[in-house]
Amino acid sequence: MAKVEALPYDDRTVYSVAAFNRGVAQWLGRLPTVWVEGEVTELRRHERWASVFFTLKDPIDGSCLGVTMLRGQFDGLRLELADGERVHVYGRPHLFEQRGEFRLRALTIERFGVGAHLAALERLKARLAAEGLFAAERKRPLPLLPRRIGLVTGNDAAAKRDVLTTIQTRFPPANVLVAETYVQGPRAALEIVDALRALCEDEDVDVIVLTRGGGSFEDLLPFSDERVVRAVASCRVPVVSAVGHEQDTPLCDLAADVRASTPTAAGRLVVPELSVVVAGLDRARASLARTVRLALARDAQALAHTRDRLRAAPRLAVERESRRVEQARDRLRRAPALAVERKRAALESAAGKLRVLSPLKTLERGYAIVRTESQLVRSASDVAPGVRVEVALAEGGFGARVEDT
Amino acid sequence: MADPETFEEAQAELEQIVTRLEQGQASLDEALALWERGEKLYAFCRAKLDAAQGKVEELARRVEQARP
Repeated sequence: MAKVEALPYDDRTVYSVAAFNRGVAQWLGRLPTVWVEGEVTELRRHERWASVFFTLKDPIDGSCLGVTMLRGQFDGLRLELADGERVHVYGRPHLFEQRGEFRLRALTIERFGVGAHLAALERLKARLAAEGLFAAERKRPLPLLPRRIGLVTGNDAAAKRDVLTTIQTRFPPANVLVAETYVQGPRAALEIVDALRALCEDEDVDVIVLTRGGGSFEDLLPFSDERVVRAVASCRVPVVSAVGHEQDTPLCDLAADVRASTPTAAGRLVVPELSVVVAGLDRARASLARTVRLALARDAQALAHTRDRLRAAPRLAVERESRRVEQARDRLRRAPALAVERKRAALESAAGKLRVLSPLKTLERGYAIVRTESQLVRSASDVAPGVRVEVALAEGGFGARVEDT
Repeated sequence: MADPETFEEAQAELEQIVTRLEQGQASLDEALALWERGEKLYAFCRAKLDAAQGKVEELARRVEQARP
């Protein structure tokens, strides 16, 4: 390795360009071989050139790194790389001394495959989920009747047409503002983010539909790009995501407020059926009229009832008084007869008592009263043999003489 | 009462009024006032729906037109 020599100028040490470049190159040469991930852009491969050149671009902030690889090695990989593809490059930093150009000298390149993409997506998904970006409580309800609907779509006809046709068929008064963007490839993610922001600047837009028809896994990748997912999550208005087919779940679906299985479903979600809205209004109005009529009828009835009671009140008083007089007269009429009856009853009662007390009652039961001329005979000693006595019976009597005692 | 600003507001208020009337607790004067208000809201909502057909605009074209 050539030594880097400086020229002394008085108290100053000065390097030639060649020496400086050589020095930096040597220093860089001590760095380890590493893997670098990025998107391939500006790929230049020419049969006359010994090396293939491309720029590796950081998809997040656009940082660039020149990469070179020997053409033979590059061709041997049979990667058929196209601009925008994500790759892992294994290489070491290198300074081309002649031009003072810094590059990564690639030893091998691996396409960032579906498996790697999936793993990266899973990591991103876990990270964003941990941040709460997909949380259910973040989801906002869609407006019942949007003033203007923002639509982010590719210029491919199908998805855009499906959304627009559905919206206009269901709800002809709907206003839609369409932002066409790339929906696949390396520029798509940034363009989608820009489109979302531009639509949000229209203050009448109160819901946004983000849609794209079906496509390959790679085609749909921009819809899982962290920038797009964050833009959807932080969008000023609710976002309906209808990307790919039912089985695809790009991360923007998780961040959106509502996920629609198809562009047509998204159209149905953002506007109501006009006839249903009108029917609801008419029903409300009919109910309004009916309830007011009922309230009126109820009050009229209550009023009529009160009037009837008012009118009846004097008549009721007269009736009540006349009834009272009638009753008094009846009692008056019955009074003398009652008095006679009471007296008769008292008399009967007295007679009854008298009869119970008289001896006749006893004689009727077979007893007799025996008397001498002077007294009632109560004891055998009151009489002597030969004395005449009078015997009184219940029916008549007879005289008798006492034979012995 | 202020005029409704949006269709949604008007529709929600109309529903409230109907519910209120259906419960039958409003006095007669109140019921009549609510009815009047309800009819107004209905007319507002219908007018919004019957208003000019909706339109589809392209954002890019709109941005171009906005340029001086």
